[in-house]
Amino acid sequence: MSLLALEGVRKSYTGLSRERVVLAETTLEIEPGELVVVWGLKGSGRSTLLRIAAGIEAPDSGTVRFEGRDLRQHGEELLGGGVGFCERTFRCAEGQGVLDQVMVGLLARGVSPRQARTRAQGALERVGAEDYAAQRLGALEASESVRVAIARTLALEPALLVIDEPTRGADLLERDGILALLRSLAGEGIAVLASTAESTGLAGADRALVLNEGELRGAPPPALATVLELRRPAGWRATG
Amino acid sequence: MGAERVREQQGSMQSPVNWALLGLVIERPSYAYKLAQRFDRTYEGALSLSSTSHVYTALRALLDRELIEEVPGSGTGRQPKPCYRATGQGLEHYQRWLVSQLPEERRRQRLFAVELAALMSEPELARTVIDGYEQECLREAGQSTLAGEAYANDAPSALASRLASEENRLALGARLAWVQYVRAELRKIAERKPAGR
Repeated sequence: MSLLALEGVRKSYTGLSRERVVLAETTLEIEPGELVVVWGLKGSGRSTLLRIAAGIEAPDSGTVRFEGRDLRQHGEELLGGGVGFCERTFRCAEGQGVLDQVMVGLLARGVSPRQARTRAQGALERVGAEDYAAQRLGALEASESVRVAIARTLALEPALLVIDEPTRGADLLERDGILALLRSLAGEGIAVLASTAESTGLAGADRALVLNEGELRGAPPPALATVLELRRPAGWRATG
Repeated sequence: MGAERVREQQGSMQSPVNWALLGLVIERPSYAYKLAQRFDRTYEGALSLSSTSHVYTALRALLDRELIEEVPGSGTGRQPKPCYRATGQGLEHYQRWLVSQLPEERRRQRLFAVELAALMSEPELARTVIDGYEQECLREAGQSTLAGEAYANDAPSALASRLASEENRLALGARLAWVQYVRAELRKIAERKPAGR
């Protein structure tokens, strides 16, 4: 049983003139410790796929299972626990300080303030953001703010981390540090599902996939890999 | 015979090995043997010398074109080994050659597009090819080296690895986007194709 399994997932949006299929019969399986990155052009449905995979948005049809449990029925209890959806934005009402932001999810789940502080500091250290703990959110650079957002999700100890465009807006020379962080989290056994609009964001992935016109393509999980079969046109004959 | 005459007779230098060797001399003046060793280390997997003597042939070509010059080495034997360093002209030509590589890349991509277009009468077959091409791009993109993982220092070889990796990663993005365009074209052709063909 895969950690996360999307089976026959379909999602479409109805615009003014026609229906736009964002995901058509999409199947995706992710194992623990696997880093899967989905590349797609703007508007390809990358974010929708990630929100559905995290149980935040429901598909029109098909199923999404996390550890065998249907997210449609168990999404709320799994979100933040087993499934960590990394929001890149911060709500100011939850505190202006970095440490406050990382602690807020823990406090909401009934963790004592003392324990929450210790776990939040540990998470910040894990992502290389311990130096920002005392800073205000407004003082953070784009890549620092991504690290803090990842720490906030990691503090809840998820088995799957879902993150939309982790390198968007990051300084060119900081970008690989974020990708290396995701790679190392996968190395520790956390499954990571990320998206990217830039091909540079695919580096380090166990599986790089492409989403285009509702179709998710790319290498299957290693166990399912088969040799690509070349098709011949009807009536084709070798000469000579 | 004047050097200008030699250059005219020999035409422009085409050998990638010669240009690669010039790059190494620009990076750091060296003896021939040391250059052969550095060549193997630096260009491993991308370019190779047919034999150690190949480096002497290449150095001769660079000397004839006055792209490099001999300077006395520090050896103390009866026949001190010459050391090679780049001339101002060598630097200038190397820069021009680097920039001139771009049309060569375009030529390769155009060749692939022409070869693919030959399959357009069979859109399904072309789609299989483009599926394989896309998978190869994705596989290569995933395997790209992260700058933070290794080579995180300022040594020329480390910088070269980072620059090459970044260029390749960006180029793969352009190819992936191009594949989406090819698919759209193939779909349009398939829709126009009369049924039964």
